Amino acid sequence: MAETRLRILSYIVAAALSLTAVAFGLVGLTAAGVDQTLWIVDVAVWTVVIAVVSMIAVPAPSGSLLSLGIGAVVAASILVEDITAFGAAVAAALVIVSLVEGRFSFMRPRTDGDFLSDALAAIAYSTLFVYAADTIERLAFTDPYWGSVFAVAVGGLGWFVVRALVSAFVGVERTDLAGRYLWLLALEDWAVVVSLLAAGALFGLTWPVMGLWALAVAVLPYAFGHLAFERYHSTKVTYGQTIRALAQIPEVAGLAPRGHSTRTAELAVAVAQEMGLHPNDVNELEYAALMHDVGRITLNEPAILKAGYTDEDIARWGAQIIAEAPYLSQVSELVEQQHRPYRSPGIEFDPDVPMASKIIKVASAYDQGRVELGLSAIEALERIHQGSAYEYDPQVAASLRRVLVFRGEIPY
Amino acid sequence: MFPNELARQQRAKVRLAITFASAGAVVLGALAVFQEFPEPPWLWGLFAVSFVFFEWNTVEVNDKLFASPSIMVVMTAAVAFGPMSAVLGTCAMAAVALFTPEDIRQRRWFQPAVNFGQLILTAAASVVVLALILRAGSSSGEANLAVTAFASGLAAMIYGAVNYWLVLFIVRSVYGHREARPWSHMTSILLPLTGMGFLGGLLGATYLLVGAASLPLIAIVFFTGYMAFESYAKLREAQLSTLAGFIKALEAKDLYTRGHTERVAYFANMIGQAMGYNGTQLEKLRWAALIHDVGKLAVPRTVIRKKARLTDDEYEEMQAHVHHVEDLLSEVDFLRPMVEVASNHHAHFDGNGYHGSTGELGEIPSLDARILAVADSFDAMTSTRSYRVALSQGYAFSELRKHAGTQFDPNVVEVFVSVLTASGERYGSPEELTDDEARRRAEHGIGHSHAATESPHMDTNRGSGAGRG
Repeated sequence: MAETRLRILSYIVAAALSLTAVAFGLVGLTAAGVDQTLWIVDVAVWTVVIAVVSMIAVPAPSGSLLSLGIGAVVAASILVEDITAFGAAVAAALVIVSLVEGRFSFMRPRTDGDFLSDALAAIAYSTLFVYAADTIERLAFTDPYWGSVFAVAVGGLGWFVVRALVSAFVGVERTDLAGRYLWLLALEDWAVVVSLLAAGALFGLTWPVMGLWALAVAVLPYAFGHLAFERYHSTKVTYGQTIRALAQIPEVAGLAPRGHSTRTAELAVAVAQEMGLHPNDVNELEYAALMHDVGRITLNEPAILKAGYTDEDIARWGAQIIAEAPYLSQVSELVEQQHRPYRSPGIEFDPDVPMASKIIKVASAYDQGRVELGLSAIEALERIHQGSAYEYDPQVAASLRRVLVFRGEIPY
Repeated sequence: MFPNELARQQRAKVRLAITFASAGAVVLGALAVFQEFPEPPWLWGLFAVSFVFFEWNTVEVNDKLFASPSIMVVMTAAVAFGPMSAVLGTCAMAAVALFTPEDIRQRRWFQPAVNFGQLILTAAASVVVLALILRAGSSSGEANLAVTAFASGLAAMIYGAVNYWLVLFIVRSVYGHREARPWSHMTSILLPLTGMGFLGGLLGATYLLVGAASLPLIAIVFFTGYMAFESYAKLREAQLSTLAGFIKALEAKDLYTRGHTERVAYFANMIGQAMGYNGTQLEKLRWAALIHDVGKLAVPRTVIRKKARLTDDEYEEMQAHVHHVEDLLSEVDFLRPMVEVASNHHAHFDGNGYHGSTGELGEIPSLDARILAVADSFDAMTSTRSYRVALSQGYAFSELRKHAGTQFDPNVVEVFVSVLTASGERYGSPEELTDDEARRRAEHGIGHSHAATESPHMDTNRGSGAGRG
């Protein structure tokens, strides 16, 4: 449903962009005092440049892919004199991108949501840039270069905010993701956006005076950052893999049910995203959920098995093991708290238990119900509901229900 | 260390500090006479702040790419100041960076005094060359850009080389003629260094052509790049320490294997270094050593601790730890090459033994796996296990030699024996046992004969000191 709506919306935006390109073309080519050959060359060159550069994706810290086209649009905004030529080139390039992107195997897959947020952000940038440049001209800046930098800054702010807003809006289309979560996620990518804006502006300013050397001036410094973004992304992936692997040791040893940690983590992340936790918290929650049973490795000690143990022991042992990793103290804390009930005897509810721990507790219990007890989805959820407000947080239980409804596992 | 050696070092330090500090002061004084201070002053301040920032906050990334952005700042500043004030301006910038926060906190005097001279001499030597070239090629236009860029690259190379020799000189005069390689991969960082200088020169030219408006843009691109590199380095560090800490914590649950992987990693590193491994290869070997027994964590303790001979089923279960390693860690991209090494640490030099899924019976394991096998077996023999007490180092050496050529690579064994002997470290039982006595102890309570390396069947060496590491 939501996907179809997004698709329709992106068709509408693409169509509007095509119309804009044509309209700008008509206005630009018929306006008095426009060198038509120059106009056509400008539009053709920049359409190709923006479209081609947009195909290159930049992995942002949030995990989403940004388009390198930001830089090209910024460079064009400074270099193309005629407003109609600039508008036509940007609109045409965005249409080409929407048609071509994701079609070939060497390209990274991008969704309609990605196209929408990029396109609308580019439109916001262009409008704001033109408006700001116009204002500056009236204010008569002494140094035209500072004027350009100012206009890029205004437009860039628009780019950033619109992109974050559209990302959150796309989230509103899906009931399993909170808009707040996506908004925060998009804000996390500010470093990439700012870096691309500055690199594009640098090219725009240096090209007229330095010629091809401008390419080196703009591209080389950005390349360092790009490399770092790439590395960060791949390290984040292998970090996740490492934790996933370590979390499976008790499962391989036969001390915990196979696949329980992975399934629990997957469900816990979905619930956390639905509830709109901060992306950083969701990340930590994922690691904690993956490792919530790692304390079970202690059970391969026959003496301990004989002496007996409680869930609290498992949580504590796990937390002790995780605490050995210097960067995971938060995760260790979450694992230690995950056994604690929502309401301890004598208190209304326990405010010290982190939300992430409560989510892990619910997700783990649901998976236990499904796999170990062989219950159906609705029965497993009913089991959570029965313990709601005593053992489990009712807010989390309600969120779990919404996630399961969205996934079509339960009817309502 | 002997007291008179310490006193000699102290004297050398005082001498060096005085020499370097006065050399720096003399150069700076002379420059103040011949050159003008850069205009405008805020520009100098801006470059000085960035230089100090990058000097203090070098991102340690294994692959040397972001080695030293401070060199780039020097070149940008030199070009932006113009040849008439470049040398004085950059030397004054360098002088500002003499204290690191660490020095101030620890009230050190030697490091800052030497730094002062070293930074000024380095900057002066390289920027003089740049200034001379820039003054000679005063033609304008794009040809000038090429001259500026290449001259800055050259100057950065000089900067790197002078810095290298000065550091080498300082270390040698304080610590004597011991092997001192502060930048052991000088040649491999020359290229990125030159690139940094090249770019720095271009950015300086950008400032001259476009004006101050270019500065915030350049700063933003670099600052975000720097931040990204920093968070990448942090994340990488977090990942590595998570893995290492986790393995340690899990291992600590078992009395008999406590510290085993760390010692094996240490021995493997020792052998690797002696065999001329470079940094990347050593890193890989170290990781292979750290993960080689992860699979054993998944083997029931009853089997690992068993005092008597293992039944076939139990032996099967014991050897399964090789596969557990593969099951667990082959999903982790960056560990894949290390997993291959780790899973072959029970494979024999002659192709027998227990191979992981990537190796086949009869195949000679990789050099990494052969090193790991020697390190692993040595530690297994020299530490106390459930099935026997620790053996002496001499006994372990003779066992390694005895199985050299069949179970172990003879070359690796000899290298290991000689480096460990040379290091003067001793492992295992302090009691030097005769060969027969040690054998008796090794077989005591296990009741299984030792040798059996002839048999290609995988139960070779079952329960022997050299096989159950």
